[in-house]
Amino acid sequence: MQGYIKTGNSQPAWLFPFVVIIVLILSVLPLARLAMVGMTAFADGGVMTVLSEASLWSATYYTVITAILGTVISLVLGCLFAFLLTLTDIRAKGPLGFFFVLPMMIPPQVTALAWVQMSGPSSPLLKALHIAPPLGSPQPLYSVGGIALLYGVQHAPLVHLALRAGLMTLPRDGVEAARLSGASSLRVFRDIILPLSLPGIIAGAAISFVSCTGNFGIPAILGIPASIFTLPTLIFTKFSAFTSRTFGDVAVLSAIIAVISVVGLMIQDRALRGRDYRVIGLSGASAAFELGAWRLVFTSLVWAILFFMLAAPFFALVAGALVPAYGVPLTFKTMSLHAFEEILFRQAVTRSAFINSLSLASATALCLLVVTVLAAYTLTRRKDAASRIISSLIEIPYSLPGIVMAVCFILVFAAPIPILHVSLYGTIWIILIAYFSSFFAVSLKPVVSAFHQLDPALEEAARLSGAGFFRRLADIIVPLIAPAAGASVILVFLIACNELTISALLWSAGTQTLGVAIYNLDDSGSSDLASALSVLVVLMVVVLMLLLELLAKRLPKGVIPWRG
Amino acid sequence: MKTIVSAAAFVAASLFAIPASAANLVLYTSQPNEDAQATVDGFMAANPDIKVDWVRDGTPKIMAKLQAEIQAGNPVADVLLIADVVTLERLKEDGKLLAYKSPEAAEYDAALYDADGYYYSTKLITTGIMYNTSVAMKPASWKDLTKPEAKGLVTMPSPLASGAALIHAQTLAAVSGLGWDFYKSLAENGAIAAGGNGAVLKSVASGEKAYGMVVDYLPIREKAKGAPVEFVFPSEGVSAVTEPVGILASTKNADAARKFVDYVLSEKGQEGFLKLGYIPARNGMKLPEGFPARDTIKVLPIKAAEALKNTDQDLKTFSGIYGSN
Repeated sequence: MQGYIKTGNSQPAWLFPFVVIIVLILSVLPLARLAMVGMTAFADGGVMTVLSEASLWSATYYTVITAILGTVISLVLGCLFAFLLTLTDIRAKGPLGFFFVLPMMIPPQVTALAWVQMSGPSSPLLKALHIAPPLGSPQPLYSVGGIALLYGVQHAPLVHLALRAGLMTLPRDGVEAARLSGASSLRVFRDIILPLSLPGIIAGAAISFVSCTGNFGIPAILGIPASIFTLPTLIFTKFSAFTSRTFGDVAVLSAIIAVISVVGLMIQDRALRGRDYRVIGLSGASAAFELGAWRLVFTSLVWAILFFMLAAPFFALVAGALVPAYGVPLTFKTMSLHAFEEILFRQAVTRSAFINSLSLASATALCLLVVTVLAAYTLTRRKDAASRIISSLIEIPYSLPGIVMAVCFILVFAAPIPILHVSLYGTIWIILIAYFSSFFAVSLKPVVSAFHQLDPALEEAARLSGAGFFRRLADIIVPLIAPAAGASVILVFLIACNELTISALLWSAGTQTLGVAIYNLDDSGSSDLASALSVLVVLMVVVLMLLLELLAKRLPKGVIPWRG
Repeated sequence: MKTIVSAAAFVAASLFAIPASAANLVLYTSQPNEDAQATVDGFMAANPDIKVDWVRDGTPKIMAKLQAEIQAGNPVADVLLIADVVTLERLKEDGKLLAYKSPEAAEYDAALYDADGYYYSTKLITTGIMYNTSVAMKPASWKDLTKPEAKGLVTMPSPLASGAALIHAQTLAAVSGLGWDFYKSLAENGAIAAGGNGAVLKSVASGEKAYGMVVDYLPIREKAKGAPVEFVFPSEGVSAVTEPVGILASTKNADAARKFVDYVLSEKGQEGFLKLGYIPARNGMKLPEGFPARDTIKVLPIKAAEALKNTDQDLKTFSGIYGSN
């Protein structure tokens, strides 16, 4: 290792090994365990039994087809918003961006529940408006199309954000030159903007595709009633019919999802190669297009889309929480707060779910922050192969579907830990460790970008004046990266609070998370209670996002996903 | 340095905020959330020194969770309160249950509990037909569900998600004149089987489907709240499960667990079930509102030992008719 640590950059000797050990525990160990169990199942021939099951292949088919359709829908929505909000002079960009990103932050099962409440013969909202479909009409969302549509809505913000990042750096002079030569807006868009934004579109498509393949909440609520199983819901049902073969089977199924995700990311990599357009010139393409008379058209279009994506499902959710019983139309007379009362004051599950989710989320966010600051410090200072490998190892668990990581951690911790003889399976600690692993990358990103903006001269001066590592950390680094650290904490907190996929497999008595509580309430037929709890969760998400907005002025660019 | 110390203290504090399971008793149950909460609340009111944590899910899922925990060497549950005797009989045979002779048993019909004290039935839950009141054809017999008027409009819980649904299928399959052929003709009539009883209730009450096989208390309760549904006890008879309670042999809280068993069997506990709309198993109790007189309800017989033996085959037969769900 000699020679790696450059003389002008003295870090404590323990720092890099410390980060390596953390990454070994959080990334390498669980994935290696999954590979091992998968291979053992393969050697035992058990894998042939799994592979010969028709359910596996239909689940693989549904996973891929819904993910592809969902990606197409998210591309259409995401590109529309990204182009309009970045390149045109449309009004109220701030609120539009905020609202459009909201679905990404809302737990997918809540999105699914809200849309179910909004459509079909069961909709309290449609009943209240007297436009509900007749008896016996199928719920249209319980289908491949329904799942894909909701994937599209849930992941459109990802495309929007991926594309927006690229559009912000588009050269303005190219557009102006074309304009001066008399090119029409359409021409400029087709010949300059579109080719240059292709990398962003491809990246967005890949992120959306991978997120779709790993989604659990949407296919669980929309697919299971129609017997449409995707790989994550199939793994979940395998656990619901536990046999001695289950661990091996789910290892194989997880491996298939992992392969689909990796293939998706490889196609992206391939598509991006050779598309590296270096652009020179003034960036910041703000308002390259003046909409003029079209402004009214586009403004009403985007607000209409937002109405159907957000407002209508949310009102349906509220209506679903206010009806006294199924099938009763919502009127001022029938309206009842019973569900909210039950959720807030009687159900122990709600209280423990709130406590669990909030403490899991804050512990994850804060513990990760400590590791993240140290990791970002050493990873940005060392620019060698080892640090690049570590960086990508941190990325892997985040890019794999949550259900795969959950299975990994079950395999690692199902048996009591040797020597200590403590079993983590069935306790809250296994969820916490799985969260550490899955959200490490989320926590790291804002902090790394803050470190990149840090002038090393400051720290160097302190070092020359004899300040030790912790002294420099406390007096120079931490204060300078504090805003990014704050954003990192809130982002991880938000995501962890709303998590369902990992905890759906790992929860036990007293360790239900909010995601699990909502899913189970709906599953047991108490969809009024599920709706009431969902309404509370949505409100919490909005408050947290507004908090980030307040922090915005003090943050480096790009740290808050929905702001430029 | 101060910042780091205080940050570390903050992190440590947030870690300790994570509740380690501090409960004295863990209950795994298949009752709906509101009922499970009411049962636990009733018990804790009677035993204020015992704190209960509970997990609710369909019987097969609860059993899967338990099996996975047993295999991992860390069973969490102390007491089970789940749909059917067959499941508890299997646990008893595997040596997973603790015998306890409850003094309350004297008030129960001997057929309703295990003679060695491994489990006790707590209530009678029958499965009949519910329908949405806006339909033209009011069903009176199981066979009505195979009529053309019900084409594509019937839903039922899947035995893979509900213990009561499994017993129901096994009961009807043994009735001459119904049998598996009845399930086949239902499937040909476009009936679907997915999810638990809650899903059936939702689907019929909301008008997505018109008819459903479902446990009695759900539609009877919802009807009282104003939902447009009706429940019938079909002429051939209904199947029944008895939601037995049992203590796991691995319990670390045997005393509290025994108290829980005594409580659900006691007059007070049984009244709690009655209030929730269940038929109590204890002798001399009233019937909940909305039920016909007890002697007019014809309960179809089931042989527990035989049902246990055939369970895997029956599940396969059912899945074969209704797909993989």
